Amino acid sequence: MVELNPKYLEDLPLTSYSDNSTELLRTGTWKYVQPTYEDKLPACSHLCPAGNDISKAMDLVARGQLDAAARLWRSANPLPATLGRVCPHPCESECNRNAFGGAIAIHAMERFLGDRSFDPAFLPERAPSTGKKVAVVGGGPAGIAAAYNLALAGHGVEVLDDKPAPGGYLRTGIPDYRLPREILDREIALVEHAGVTFTCGTRVGRDVGLDELRERFDAVIVAVGFHRARPLGVPGEDHPHVFNGVELLERILLGERPELPRRMAVVGGGNTAMDVARSLLRIGVEPVVVYRRSKLEMPAIPAEVDEAMAEGIEFNFLTAPSRVVVEDGRVTGLECVKMKLGEPDESGRRRPVPVEGSEFVVPVDGVVTAIGESADLEFLPEAARDGWRVAADARLVTPEEGVFAAGDVVSGAGTVTAAVGEGRRVAAVVHTWLTRGSLPDEAPPVQGLWDRPVNLDRTVYVEQLNPAYFTEVPRPELPELDPVERRSSFAEVMGGFTEAEAVAEARRCLVCGTCNECCNCLYFCPDVAIARRGDAFGFDIDADHCKGCGICVEECPRDALSLMEVKS
Amino acid sequence: MRKVLKGNGAVAEAVRLARAEVISAYPITPQTSIIEEIASMVSRGSLEAQFIKVESEHSALAGCIAAASAGARTFTATSAQGLALMHELIHWAAGGRLPIVLADVNRAMAPGWSIWTDQNDTLSQRDTGWMQVYCQSSQEVVDSVVQAYKVSERVLLPTMVVLDAFFLSHTYEDVEVPEQVMVDRFLPPLELPHRMDMERPAALGNLVFPDRYMEFREKMDLAHGVALGVWEEVGREWGELTGRPYGLVEEYRMDGAELVLVTAATTASTARPVIDALREAGVPAGLLRLRVFRPFPAERIRAILGGRKKVVILDRNCSFGHHGIFHQEIKSALYELPHGEQPVLHGIIAGLGGRDITPDDLHGMLDGAWSGKITAPVTWWDVLPVKDRERAAVTMVEGG
Repeated sequence: MVELNPKYLEDLPLTSYSDNSTELLRTGTWKYVQPTYEDKLPACSHLCPAGNDISKAMDLVARGQLDAAARLWRSANPLPATLGRVCPHPCESECNRNAFGGAIAIHAMERFLGDRSFDPAFLPERAPSTGKKVAVVGGGPAGIAAAYNLALAGHGVEVLDDKPAPGGYLRTGIPDYRLPREILDREIALVEHAGVTFTCGTRVGRDVGLDELRERFDAVIVAVGFHRARPLGVPGEDHPHVFNGVELLERILLGERPELPRRMAVVGGGNTAMDVARSLLRIGVEPVVVYRRSKLEMPAIPAEVDEAMAEGIEFNFLTAPSRVVVEDGRVTGLECVKMKLGEPDESGRRRPVPVEGSEFVVPVDGVVTAIGESADLEFLPEAARDGWRVAADARLVTPEEGVFAAGDVVSGAGTVTAAVGEGRRVAAVVHTWLTRGSLPDEAPPVQGLWDRPVNLDRTVYVEQLNPAYFTEVPRPELPELDPVERRSSFAEVMGGFTEAEAVAEARRCLVCGTCNECCNCLYFCPDVAIARRGDAFGFDIDADHCKGCGICVEECPRDALSLMEVKS
Repeated sequence: MRKVLKGNGAVAEAVRLARAEVISAYPITPQTSIIEEIASMVSRGSLEAQFIKVESEHSALAGCIAAASAGARTFTATSAQGLALMHELIHWAAGGRLPIVLADVNRAMAPGWSIWTDQNDTLSQRDTGWMQVYCQSSQEVVDSVVQAYKVSERVLLPTMVVLDAFFLSHTYEDVEVPEQVMVDRFLPPLELPHRMDMERPAALGNLVFPDRYMEFREKMDLAHGVALGVWEEVGREWGELTGRPYGLVEEYRMDGAELVLVTAATTASTARPVIDALREAGVPAGLLRLRVFRPFPAERIRAILGGRKKVVILDRNCSFGHHGIFHQEIKSALYELPHGEQPVLHGIIAGLGGRDITPDDLHGMLDGAWSGKITAPVTWWDVLPVKDRERAAVTMVEGG
């Protein structure tokens, strides 16, 4: 204790100091703004159609809590090992790490966490039974995601699928070299373990009617996806060596090895076209891709296009078929017209325009069409259809009471990831309807379904980060099968992370908008007004002593704090 | 070891020799090359220290204050506007009794914007409790920075070591750089008696009520009094070690001098040959150079100037409304002399904003005072003539 009333000047300290507590000074009364811990949406999750909580999982991996991260990822997304292989990963395009050494390999992390969690112990605990029953029409990714989440919420869920096994396009349209069947089977087994019943070989509209379903179940979700190939609409299309790409792919993927012409044109620029071309290559056919726009406009996942090119597949861009050339009953070529790009169309891509007199023949013995698919919705009443889509509103509700819809038949988004996200959203709507008897104004955004609070109105981009805390670290390379080996095998092309690689990559993650207890706020607070919580995650701010200086907000590397006006 | 150094380089060499542990600084012309050189030393490893880059001079001194409170030997450097921006913390450093050493390269204050020398930046900090030493050569810079640490750490007050912009900061000279072993013997590691102690947490600079505030201030004033003796003692000790003794002031040809020029910094170097020439011409001229300005060696100055006939005080500064600052200080020091020993004082304000003060100027000032051509107590030297004082003071020129 310092003597402040000494008898002589020499016994007074050199300068004023006090070893009394300063807690008495309630500096908090000065403030007109106050900091609050507020997680925001990272740029990656903002763009994730499946709504994965990427930053939180990355933080768990970085801390070495790999199982917790895998459990979190699988808690609402039943297909992480699948998406970790087939997702076009838009998340990485806006990853804030791009400014500091290259995007985080989020896609590879999803696969790593998915592959880690095939054991039922990774499933969330199922809520007590609600006694409600839901039918899901279509066992593709949208239907699986909806069924999984509803089953976990305590509802009885039955998925009806017309194929011999569930999975939809995952099984019939995505080749093994991208998604090994074993991976899909294990994920579906987990969905069954979560309480979902799959009834396969049952086609709604043929084996059972919609009305019967509506009687037997409390809710019906339509998620049948797109399976019907659109025709080319050119002369000669009815020749037996002109194949429907969706059907041909399904046959090949189910193990059939049909007698096929030696060299075949694959018409289209989407994922089906790429999958068909690359699958044909692997069974000894020489594919030639014919696409009416340029590489830039291709709807296929760019990596798939690059991989196809690396495998040596021939591409003819700005080329549109005009006639299948048939001589002596045999296909000898595909007559095409050269195109040039005109003004942008409603999709934003430049419209292809034929170049007059530019007809030429691509010499092939057969043709596969892969120019897009549409849905088969005949089982629905007229009012529930809107052209090739289901007439569902922003709530994912159809005009038929108790009938909901999700996936490509609603959005036409065309990716497995979007289907999973919409499955999650429709499950939330149906759950509200079944448990509360009410419907929301619109289906919640998929990130709104997270079990931690996040300000969805604020997305964290690189401008919101404090760059002083981040140094450049390069993105790791992932193993990839040699292109020459790929040409003759359906073995998986892309490799995955080892445990050490996953942890190293997660440590590179900036954990945008998400408190990861880095403690900068704690260290910088000049009023010692921030304290760690005892057992719980995060920090508390002592309002009596925080004077609202905002240093913690400024020094938070990742924008996980916000300054709020104090309302008097 | 002999080296050719400019004044700024001499500061850096001295900071290295003093083994400063924390340097917290922000660049400003003409000081920048001091901290650049120190940063290079830290980066090369020739100085083991933390170099803290900050976003302003206010933070630069805050960094030093924090580090010094923790017991580290600290250094910063600045000029003019930078020093002015530090002002609040200049008080904190002195009131906290922290032995920080700051090199200020004297630069005129804006506006009008100037990068050239005069003393108003440092003299505006006269009453903050810092000690101030004005240097005339790169050699004196090296020697004074090392001495400043020793004195500061004895009396627990911070010191400004001051050098003229460009005339000293950027002029190369032959310098004897002392050996590290010698400096280490001269300047032991800092043992701050009131350093922060994790075992005994305390709030620094807390509220002090009127019943005690004065006592803390009196302690600072007493420390300045003690410091006068310490500067003399340390200057003598340095002389024994290096052959270059230093005092509070420097006298040149003061034996029998009846006309004395009082000035500081590099102008003193310009003045010596002028004094010699006047002596040769039969004028009994001498030079008194101010070195340690705070604490102010009033007694010493009184002893030197008492009984001289005329004293010309050259101020490269001005306290607007009450003439040059050295002039004020000397006048107050001489007040205690008996009436018959009071010299006639002529204040000259010259060289502001970096204007040259040439040997001819100095000759003109001394000759003018000696011959009686200069009669005014204060003269603005070598400026435009004034016809109407009021008009000159407040009238805006049309179109100006």
